[in-house]
Amino acid sequence: MTDTRAPGHAASGAMPATTAPPARLSSRHLLGIEGLNPLEINSLLDRGNVFADIIQNNDPFEPPLSDMLRGLTVLNLFFENSTRTRVSFELAAKNLGASVLNINVAGSSVKKGETLLDTATTLNAMHPHIIVVRHNCSGAVQLLSQHVDAAVINGGDGRHEHPTQALLDAMTIKRRIGRIEGLKIAICGDIANSRVARSNIHLLSTLGAEIRLVCPATLLPAAVDSMGVEIFTDLEEGIEGVDIVMMLRLQTERMEGTETPSQREYFNLFGLDRNKLMRAAPQALIMHPGPMNRGVEIDSATADDVEKSLIRTQVEIGVAARMACLEALAGVAGAS
Amino acid sequence: MTELLLYNARLLDPAQGRDETGFVAITGGTITGAAAGTPSTDLMTAAEQTYDCGGACLAPGLIDMRVQSADPGAEHLEGLATLLQAAASGGITSIVTLPDASPVIDDASMIDSLSLRANRIAGARLFLYGAATNRLKGEAMAELGLMADAGAVGFSNGTRTIMDSLVMRRVLAYCGMLDRPFIQHCEDHDLTAGSEMNEGETSTRLGLIGAPAEAEAIIIDRDMHLVRLSGARYHAAHVSTRAAAQSIRRAKDEGLPVTADTAPPYFMLNELAASTYDTAFKLSPPLRSEDDREAIIEALADGTIDAIASDHIPVDGDAKAQPFGPAQPGASGVDTLLAMTLSLVHREHLSLLRAMELLSLAPASILDLAGGTLGEGAVADLVLFDPQASWIVRAADFASSSRVTPFEGLPVQGRVTASWVGGVPVFRRD
Repeated sequence: MTDTRAPGHAASGAMPATTAPPARLSSRHLLGIEGLNPLEINSLLDRGNVFADIIQNNDPFEPPLSDMLRGLTVLNLFFENSTRTRVSFELAAKNLGASVLNINVAGSSVKKGETLLDTATTLNAMHPHIIVVRHNCSGAVQLLSQHVDAAVINGGDGRHEHPTQALLDAMTIKRRIGRIEGLKIAICGDIANSRVARSNIHLLSTLGAEIRLVCPATLLPAAVDSMGVEIFTDLEEGIEGVDIVMMLRLQTERMEGTETPSQREYFNLFGLDRNKLMRAAPQALIMHPGPMNRGVEIDSATADDVEKSLIRTQVEIGVAARMACLEALAGVAGAS
Repeated sequence: MTELLLYNARLLDPAQGRDETGFVAITGGTITGAAAGTPSTDLMTAAEQTYDCGGACLAPGLIDMRVQSADPGAEHLEGLATLLQAAASGGITSIVTLPDASPVIDDASMIDSLSLRANRIAGARLFLYGAATNRLKGEAMAELGLMADAGAVGFSNGTRTIMDSLVMRRVLAYCGMLDRPFIQHCEDHDLTAGSEMNEGETSTRLGLIGAPAEAEAIIIDRDMHLVRLSGARYHAAHVSTRAAAQSIRRAKDEGLPVTADTAPPYFMLNELAASTYDTAFKLSPPLRSEDDREAIIEALADGTIDAIASDHIPVDGDAKAQPFGPAQPGASGVDTLLAMTLSLVHREHLSLLRAMELLSLAPASILDLAGGTLGEGAVADLVLFDPQASWIVRAADFASSSRVTPFEGLPVQGRVTASWVGGVPVFRRD
């Protein structure tokens, strides 16, 4: 297992190297990063770190941690296909002792909103404690949260937010570099269709990073500069001197076809390869929320570069980040 | 002999610029006289019936020139009788419905049959726009001539813009030939494909697909070229953007036969209302920026926009209990049209007479309908309202069976006391 912690970070034996209390949130649900304050974000990151140490040491989860969600039911309700996020939440919930139920409604013909609320009412009658929801419509998770008694975690809604992805990204960066504040981070690619981009912009700028967006003019959302970011349409210019290059997946399933001329051209202009990466800071690291389109937004040599790529670590940290979120909402959920 | 004498009223006649206390005499469904002051004892005793207006405002009944009826096709949402009665309780004495029904109103026989049904209902009068193209597909022209003969007061492609410029040109040429206005929903559907709300910072934050404001002006600008070719009367409906208002202003300056209306959401609200994904604020056109909202108020005040319509759309709760994207656009409007327009008077953007002009005289003149004046010989379609009476908008209390409103909970001033259609009382608030 690669040690991704910051240099000088004391590694110990079987015991967690870091300690932090369970995170506390002021809201009953985790619907997005927008609206969370730095204290809440940091409490999630710090607590996630405790879990990440255990996971990266390959240690088993033992009481009291493995009992944190004992007796609670976590429901994974996915209206959109997902492998890594669903598995990550499932593992996170099980590590904390919860019972997990997976409901995959993607692919079936029931994608309409009335089904969303019908499903919500039905599932609510089964009294789950925490519901993790992914849906292809922006705002759908918020809508569902208004119709259930359980605590709701947004597992990604349309183009809106994917808060746990941003939390795991921030944890990954912090464990490797030791801080977020003052870092130059370029988020590159399909910004318009990306919920990961929106959550990351909110989180990383809240914690004091300098954010750049790099994307073709056709994939730049309107008035996005109001979110406090600097905008580039040239990849090499945009990543000049940055500490982190965060590549986004070209969301072809959310596109109608005329946004970019071709994948070949896209890779030429906006795909990350070793040559373009030379423009970033010498120690620059590469991230990607996955799943990757190899040869479209990133080439394999760059994605698999063990020195520079954090992509595998992101997946590993994902479980820890989600444990922190589930635990934070469990207090509320268990009481209801 | 006078059949009905309405006295002790503040007369508001936008056609004659009259705003004074007086009385109105009605016989045979027609205004036989309106004068300042108190009616003489002779007049009072000679009248079959008298009505003390208690000092409230008496004005020509509202003419709502943009209403969707769910009947025929979705009568469970709102039947024609409910709609016409709800309109009357909102002070509206005539509504003009869009051809968007099921089946589409693209045939003279449907205009006939709906008009006949409406005649048997005590409520607002019903007028209809005929569909400009068959099934509203924007392709083949519908039988405009036969529909005009059957009484269509204008033609429209409903909630869809005719995107094909050649079809549009021919429809306008026919409208010119038949001397009927064409009513356009102005939206470049190619530019707004997949859109869920107005394009801007809010859409970006919410992750919703935005429709740029320019999509409205683009169609008006194109259509102005076609109006020059055809000479038809052109009316831009529910105008919502500064850019569109400017396009209309330019066309009017040039002397083109163009008019426009807007609807209350576009001068009352902006896109920020959608920030919580509340689908009551999902409308078409979408709620725009604050700058656009201000521009619409300016355009109402300076005469660029001629009329205000309710843009009433019957929607049921289920169609709104959805994520914002798939939720149906639209909201109920006939219950709130007068109060929302009066809010512009209370905020001193408009005079009371100008407000009445926007709501009655202007639509009457655009569509060649009777009404809009208290002058002798005018049709006795009247509304009596207290401009100060305050109430809170509660959709649950609407007369309309469509209970979705973007104004829920809003405190407003101005409430209808009574309304008459052809001198016959169709509504009275107890």
